[in-house]
Amino acid sequence: MSKIKLGADVKEEKEIEKEIKKEKEKKQAGSAFFRLMSELGASRFLLAASLAFSLVFSALTLYIPIIVGGVIDDITRGAGILDVKGQLIKTALFAAIAALSRYASDVLSNKVVFRTVKELRKKAYKKLSRLPVSFFDKGTSGDAISRIISDTDAVGDGLLMGIANMFTGVVTIASTIIFMLGINLRMTLIIVLLTPVSLAAAAFLAKKTYRLFISQSEKRAAETAFLSESLKNLKLIKAFVREEKSARDYEEKVDDYSDCAKKALFASSMLFPSTRFVGAVIYAAVGLAGAFFVISGSLTIGGLTCFLSYAGQYSKPFNDISGVVSEMQNSVACAERVFELIDAEEMTHDGNGSIELKRGEIKFDSVSFSYGGSEPTLSGVTFTVKAGCKAALVGPTGCGKTTLINLLMRFYDADSGKITIDGKDIADAPRGDVREMFGMVLQDTFLFEDTVLENIRIGKPEASREEVVRAARLTGADMFIERMSDGYDTVINGSSELSEGERQLISVTRVMLAAPPMLILDEATSSIDTMTEMRVNAAFAKIMENRTSLIVAHRLSTVKNADLILVMKDGRIVESGAHGELMLRGGFYKELFESQFEAA
Amino acid sequence: MKKLLKYMKGYRARCAAAPFLKAIEALCELLVPVVMADIIDFGIKNADKPYILGRIALLGFLAVLGLCFTMAAQYFAASTAVGFTSNIKKALYRHITSLEYGDIDREGTSALLSKMTNDTREIQNGVNLTLRLISRSVLIVFGAAVMAFVVDAKSGLIFAVVIPVLFVVVFSIMLFSVPIYKKIQKRLESVVTSVREYLYGVRLVRSFGRDGAEAKRFDERNGALEKSSVFAGKISSLMNPLTLVIINLGVVALLYSGAVRVSAGTLTAGQVVALYNYMSQILIELLKLANLVMSISRALSAASRIEGVLESGARGESGAIKGPQKETQKETQKEILKTSRAVELENVSFSYDADGAPALSGVSLSVESGETVGIIGQTGSGKTTLVNLISGFYKPSGGKVKIYGRDISEYDKNALRKAFHHVPQKSVLFSGTLRDNLLWGNEAASDDELSRALESAVAMDFVEKKDGLDTWVGEEGAGFSGGQRQRLCVARALVGSPDFLILDDSASALDLATEKKLRGEIAAIEPHPTTFIISQRAASIMHADKILVMENGRRVGLGTHAELLSSCGVYREIFASQFGEESLPPRGGLGENISEPNSKSDIKSDIKSDVKSEGKGGAA
Repeated sequence: MSKIKLGADVKEEKEIEKEIKKEKEKKQAGSAFFRLMSELGASRFLLAASLAFSLVFSALTLYIPIIVGGVIDDITRGAGILDVKGQLIKTALFAAIAALSRYASDVLSNKVVFRTVKELRKKAYKKLSRLPVSFFDKGTSGDAISRIISDTDAVGDGLLMGIANMFTGVVTIASTIIFMLGINLRMTLIIVLLTPVSLAAAAFLAKKTYRLFISQSEKRAAETAFLSESLKNLKLIKAFVREEKSARDYEEKVDDYSDCAKKALFASSMLFPSTRFVGAVIYAAVGLAGAFFVISGSLTIGGLTCFLSYAGQYSKPFNDISGVVSEMQNSVACAERVFELIDAEEMTHDGNGSIELKRGEIKFDSVSFSYGGSEPTLSGVTFTVKAGCKAALVGPTGCGKTTLINLLMRFYDADSGKITIDGKDIADAPRGDVREMFGMVLQDTFLFEDTVLENIRIGKPEASREEVVRAARLTGADMFIERMSDGYDTVINGSSELSEGERQLISVTRVMLAAPPMLILDEATSSIDTMTEMRVNAAFAKIMENRTSLIVAHRLSTVKNADLILVMKDGRIVESGAHGELMLRGGFYKELFESQFEAA
Repeated sequence: MKKLLKYMKGYRARCAAAPFLKAIEALCELLVPVVMADIIDFGIKNADKPYILGRIALLGFLAVLGLCFTMAAQYFAASTAVGFTSNIKKALYRHITSLEYGDIDREGTSALLSKMTNDTREIQNGVNLTLRLISRSVLIVFGAAVMAFVVDAKSGLIFAVVIPVLFVVVFSIMLFSVPIYKKIQKRLESVVTSVREYLYGVRLVRSFGRDGAEAKRFDERNGALEKSSVFAGKISSLMNPLTLVIINLGVVALLYSGAVRVSAGTLTAGQVVALYNYMSQILIELLKLANLVMSISRALSAASRIEGVLESGARGESGAIKGPQKETQKETQKEILKTSRAVELENVSFSYDADGAPALSGVSLSVESGETVGIIGQTGSGKTTLVNLISGFYKPSGGKVKIYGRDISEYDKNALRKAFHHVPQKSVLFSGTLRDNLLWGNEAASDDELSRALESAVAMDFVEKKDGLDTWVGEEGAGFSGGQRQRLCVARALVGSPDFLILDDSASALDLATEKKLRGEIAAIEPHPTTFIISQRAASIMHADKILVMENGRRVGLGTHAELLSSCGVYREIFASQFGEESLPPRGGLGENISEPNSKSDIKSDIKSDVKSEGKGGAA
């Protein structure tokens, strides 16, 4: 629940939208359940079979005490072994059948649960590939992960298991009442009337515990957030000699948490003893009434034994059901979150025209774009990069360079204006076809949890190991890769000690290997030292000869020998031309360029 | 676990009381079937209603007694478990913050985080369950057997068979499932990885048209997860049916022998009922006991991991066995007396691993108080390592680091660290107000001082647009752009007028005009701290009093911009790569050999190029 709240806090502007959604959600609460049922598909029959088996199981386990009671009566009456033999065999047989049904029921329901979870996850994952990039840029990826992983789990464990448990519970209660009525009406009434006491006790405690648990998990979240922040930045804490202060802050958080945790733990651990106590009282009451009934002759000792064993069992399914109900409420909410992702708005329809690279001329025609805020990120951007040219984008942070790349790669679509490649509007072409024409390296490098080799090979899956190594030599990545523990077969994961510069070099090598028809480098070498950068650029210059490339860079030295420099400011192109021209003009570019040289 | 027991302090009595009280509750419960047997055998047989009433009252009394004892026990158990764990957490946190950089690197922050959260939770759970269940479950399972023997020795034998068989079945199913569940956990993690990679690498996946390949990988992992989950389900689903059969076979055996012996007159019907009741009591408690054993073993392994962390500091760097606490007790110089020679490095070497490649070798340097030193060099050339040694975070493996003429080890660590203010590579801010963040350098700083620091860090303009010093900073500095965070980190370091200021590539996200302005502001600070600026941009350091050029952990040049341009090949290359060949002056008269990475000739270059230095230091 708290996760949902957090998600809402992230985007305040969406608050109103959320309100409207909430109204809708109320209506959908039931529908999520039915939708899940329809998602079950063929598994529905398995679920039905599982329920049928659990019906057999419940009936038999309840019937066994009756047989046992009968045997005890026979024994009391002085019956010999031969008289009860048949009954005993029956008991063993029924127990075996009950066991088998229980096993069949459990295995089937497991199958349904895990298959459904798998299918839901698959659906949700597939959905991701149809979502617009804006979805991923919203910074709610953590939320999406929890929808695909934990919420689907909750749907499986909570909802489907819940249905099974609920069913078993109801069947058990019904058959217990029927069996008891078969033995003695008044005894049955005593048990049925006393049960609510147990239920009330359980409900009271559950309610109390629930509140404590909520505040406990809030306090724990605060403690964990504090921990993760300070442990991640431990060195900084030490650098500023804040150990004592932060330890005191932490202790405060721990004390806060433990005050609450003690109460929550105590309350929750009283649940079983309390129901046990109520059970014991009912047991005594049944014993009292039963004993008197036996004396008056309206009940046998075997019947009493049977009731005593029912008295212990009867309140259990009620408690189970009440537990299941709250869990099911939670899982319905989880199911809704999963469906919400599955139903999220998809990318606008792909163009179905074809696009084919001929020469590689890129043209922006008064393109404007905004991310949804009031201020446009790009306004009226017009330029042409001639085929085979190297163009550079420069300008202060936030001037719209990256946005421009986003539009060119069709990660976003322009609000107005037109982007063409060789005269064809990219909006009319399938996104995949447009992207295929470019090789791209971004400032935020992304590496997969896989070997270095595979990470580089992404650019060209069919490349041989030799080709990969050759590409790495070109960029100079070879040097540090060879030094890694397993060389090219080193698996990259969160803890591998690659520096940002090394990660960028791997990304660059990836594109070097792919040797794409056109190239986009967005601050691709910002963390690489300038010497290596020069080498990378020289290698690219060779590969990209006569191919169009577009480069974004802070370092103007990187940009200097571009054929065309586009100088951006506040979402517009303010100057364009070659380095020499722009320097002569003495405008914004010159100002930027010279700030590198001037004294402080 | 043994070493953690001292954190039980203050809870020892409760810790002992809880199982004791639970044992009494279990005894109360064990008496119930016997009382019921009496009711059947004497009360009902003789139609003695007062006797029955008396016995029922006894049952009620046992129930109330049990509830009272258990309530006290649960309370003691809960407060012991939570209190004990809080003590561990606090001690652990203090210990972790006392670790040196080297230890932190070895342990890894994510591992530390998981130990502090997950492992302590395992311990809390283990302690709580142990205190609550150990005496009760053991007593009921074995007590039921004992009571059965008391009621009837021959029937007791049936229990003696049933209980071990149940034990074997329950434990083998559990033990068998443990590795499967571990496998499931692993497979689940690989599914998570797939999802995360798509979410965070979406641009890459799409730009290479890898949607299909990624989806295939996800399907494989997702399918494997399902397969092992279903398999695990098949195993653990055996538990219920098997125990059901065993218990019922036990019941059949009881009734069989009962039928024989009641008719022979050696057993009463009431006793048969009691035995039957005991049989049904053991199952639930046995399952609880099995779960308890599992969580105890988990808690124990969590405890040993935590002990590992608590011992980590003692290992110490360079083999010396000294806990961080002891070290501060050693007589150290708390006061830092300024002299004109601020920093001296004499032939300093360092490697992160004992057997790893050296990160620094034979570096010498001398810095006057108030000077600005630029450090430049390729990624991995040892720039950050060098400043970490100067500020005392790592100890040199060879050579000497002197601050104000004294060896760095003679200073009190905290006093030393307070003298150094850092702007780290990664600009980290903490959640809280901006004021909270800025006060790091000096808790007592006034708002005026903070504002001055913001001005100097060229951060005032955007801070003013928000809520000034009261602006809320989110986790990971959320709410500020990368460049803004960098400037705020600079401001934080400026508060408290440190003796030394270290800027580690801390302007990389700034555009050039802003960086220039920032450089100007920092240069104007009075009194000027001894400043180290690490950068890859020649422009950021070219105006420093002296520039140190690093390559592969060695010093390959030292001097002013002009001197290095004429004498240091590496520096020339770096400069040329950023400003173009044509901006290079012709090579100067000092000659190329001065900048070669040889420590002896380095000393020479030291003498010649270090204008203010007297030219000593180095290995000679």
